[in-house]
Amino acid sequence: MASVLVPEFKVILVGEYGVGKTSLFRRFSTNTFLDTDSMTPSASRRSTLGLDHCARKFETKSLKAIKIQLWDTGGLERVASITNSYYKFAAAAILMFSLASIDSFHCLPQHLLEILSLAENAKIILVGNKCDLQPHEVTDSDIDMFLEQFPKFDGVYKISCKTNEGVSELFDEIAEQLASISYKSSFDAFKLHSHSEAGCCNANHLQQDEENYCCAK
Amino acid sequence: MDEEYDCIVLGTGLKECILSGLLSVSGKKVLHIDRNKYYGGESASITPLEDLFTKFGFQSTTLEDYGRSRDWNVDLIPKFLMANGQLVKLLVHTGVTRYLEFKSVEGSYVYKGGKIFKVPADEKEALASSLMGIFEKRRFRSFLLFVQDFKADDPKTWKNGIDPKRTTAAQLYETFGLDKDTADFTGHALALYRDDDYLGQPCLDLIQRIQLYSESLARYGKSPYLYPLYGLGELPQGFARLSAIYGGTYMLDKPVDEIIMENGRVVGVRSGNEIARCKQVYCDPSYVPDRVKKVGQVIRCICLLNHPIPNTKDALSCQIIIPQKQVGRKSDIYVSLVSYTHQVAAKGWFIASVSTTVETSNPQTEIKPGIDLLGPIMHKFVSVSDVYKPTDSGTESQIFISESFDATTHFETTCLDVLDIFRRGTGENFDFSKVKHDLGDEDN
Repeated sequence: MASVLVPEFKVILVGEYGVGKTSLFRRFSTNTFLDTDSMTPSASRRSTLGLDHCARKFETKSLKAIKIQLWDTGGLERVASITNSYYKFAAAAILMFSLASIDSFHCLPQHLLEILSLAENAKIILVGNKCDLQPHEVTDSDIDMFLEQFPKFDGVYKISCKTNEGVSELFDEIAEQLASISYKSSFDAFKLHSHSEAGCCNANHLQQDEENYCCAK
Repeated sequence: MDEEYDCIVLGTGLKECILSGLLSVSGKKVLHIDRNKYYGGESASITPLEDLFTKFGFQSTTLEDYGRSRDWNVDLIPKFLMANGQLVKLLVHTGVTRYLEFKSVEGSYVYKGGKIFKVPADEKEALASSLMGIFEKRRFRSFLLFVQDFKADDPKTWKNGIDPKRTTAAQLYETFGLDKDTADFTGHALALYRDDDYLGQPCLDLIQRIQLYSESLARYGKSPYLYPLYGLGELPQGFARLSAIYGGTYMLDKPVDEIIMENGRVVGVRSGNEIARCKQVYCDPSYVPDRVKKVGQVIRCICLLNHPIPNTKDALSCQIIIPQKQVGRKSDIYVSLVSYTHQVAAKGWFIASVSTTVETSNPQTEIKPGIDLLGPIMHKFVSVSDVYKPTDSGTESQIFISESFDATTHFETTCLDVLDIFRRGTGENFDFSKVKHDLGDEDN
C-alpha cells in the first residue's frame, strides 16, 4: 500500500442530556458553535440529529499520526438509555458535565459506572463544559473531592465549547495518550465496506452497483 | 410521551429496529417503545452470563468455571448473515455497518450417514469432496457450472430445455442425473431450504438460492456466512441508532397497556396514564396477542462448550446442516457454533446451538442428532417458542405485525418480512437514496 495506515481510535462522549456533548462534537468536526439556548426545545433537539461520528487526524509530539474518531450519542440519552454498542471498541471516553449545573455533576458516578463496565479498557477524561458561564455551580473543591473518590481518570479539563477555550488542548492531550497505547484491531475482523476502502462514501457506489436490490422488486 | 407521532414501533427486536430506522430515514416521526429495559427483545444477546442462567430458571451461583461472566454475549436466536444476502445489503445501504465488525464463519458442513462433510460450494471443491462418488462428482460439477452461468433474463443460458419458470427443481436434478443424496445436500446445505416442498416448485428459486450461496462465499472466502463481534444483539442496536440519528425517540422499560382503536383504525398507544397518538403501529406479535395466530413451534438449544465441535478441524465457528431425510424428518436441523473469538464467550469457550421446527410432542428428542455431534456439553439451555403470524395485512387497522423468527440459521426471511411490512405500511418500497452516507464522515 502506498500510504501508511493511520491508526484510528474511537472516542465517545458520555454525560447528561444538555451538558454540551453535541457542541463539543461540533467544535471537533467543523469548529462551529450553535447557541441552542436561544432555540426552542424542538429546534435544539433537531440540532443533534444527523450527527453520528467524525474522524480527524492528529500529529503527536513524537511525530506519530493518529486519528481520533469522535462519536456523539445521537440523542438517545434524552429519554432512553444509550445502546451498549455505543461503548464497544471505545479507546477513550470523554465524561462530560456542565460547570453551570450541579445536577449534571451529580450524575457522573452513574455514567462512570457505565463506562467502566461497558468500555473497560477505555481511557477516561473528565471534562467540565461551559466554563464561560459564571457563577459556576460546580466548584473546584467539588471536583477535587470527586476525583479523590473515583481515582479513575486519565485527565481533567475545563472547557467552553462556546468560546472554544481549552477544546484543542483537550483533543491534543487525548491524541497524545492514545498514541502511547498500541493500536490493536480485532484479529481478522472487518467492516463490511472496508474491502473497498475509504468508508461510507462507497455506499453510494455500491448502491449503483446493486440497483436491482430486492426492495425494487 | 404525550405527543403525536406518525408511527409508533413496539418492541426493539431486529425486525422492529430495522423498520424504525427505515421509517425515520423516510422522514416519519417515530416513537419506539420497549417494555424491557434493554434493547433487542428476542434478538438480544444476553450478558452477563448470570442473566442467561436466571432467564432459563437456573441457579447462577457457581459460575466461576465459565470465566469472566461479562465476556459472554449469548444470542437467544442464533443466526448467521449471508455475506451477499439481504441483511448485508440493508446494513451497507443504511450505513449501519459502520457500527459493526464482522468475522467470516470458518466452515459450512452437511450431515450424511451419521458423519459430517464440508459443503462443497464450487466445482473445484466438489471434485475434491468425499461426499460423492467419482461419477456423481462429475454430474454435480456440470450442474454447478450450469447454475453459475445461468441468467434469468438470458434464455441462451438456460440450456438442456430448462425453463426456469416451468421446470421444477426435481426435474432440474433429473436433467443433470443427480442422485437423491446430492439433491438432498444441494437443496438443504446450499439452497438452504427448510423442507422438501421446493422440489415441486419451478427451479428458478433454487438456482437463485445456490447463486446467493456461491456469491456469498466468493465475498470473504471460507464460508458464505458472517457473524458480528459481540453477538447478534449489536444488529438491532445499530438500527436503533440509525433511527435516533434521524429523529426517532426511544423509550425503554415502558409498559404498553393499550393500543387505542377508533373505527377499526389505530390512533394511539397508552402506557399508564400517558397516551401517544399516532397514525400507524408497527410491532412484534407479543404486543398484539389478539391479532396473531400460532403457526408452529421452534426449538432452540443453546449449549456452552469448552471445545470446538469434533470433526470440524477445530473451527472456531461453523454451521452444520442436517437435512431432514438423513434423520427421517420433515424439516432440517441446524447447528451453529461461535466462540470467544467473536467476543461472545469467555476465553476458551464456545457456544453451540441446535434448532429446528418442532414436528412432534417431544421436541427435545428431535434435536438429538444435532446434540450428539457436539461432544461433551457443559450446560444446556432449551427453549421451545411459538411462531406467530399476523392474521391480517394491517391495511385496515394500520397495525403492522412482524412474524416470529423461524428456525432458519440466516436472516434472509427476516429481511423479506421487514421489507414487505415497510411496503404494506408506507405503500412504497424503501428508497435508499434517502440515507445520507456522509453522516459525520467527512474526513474519511
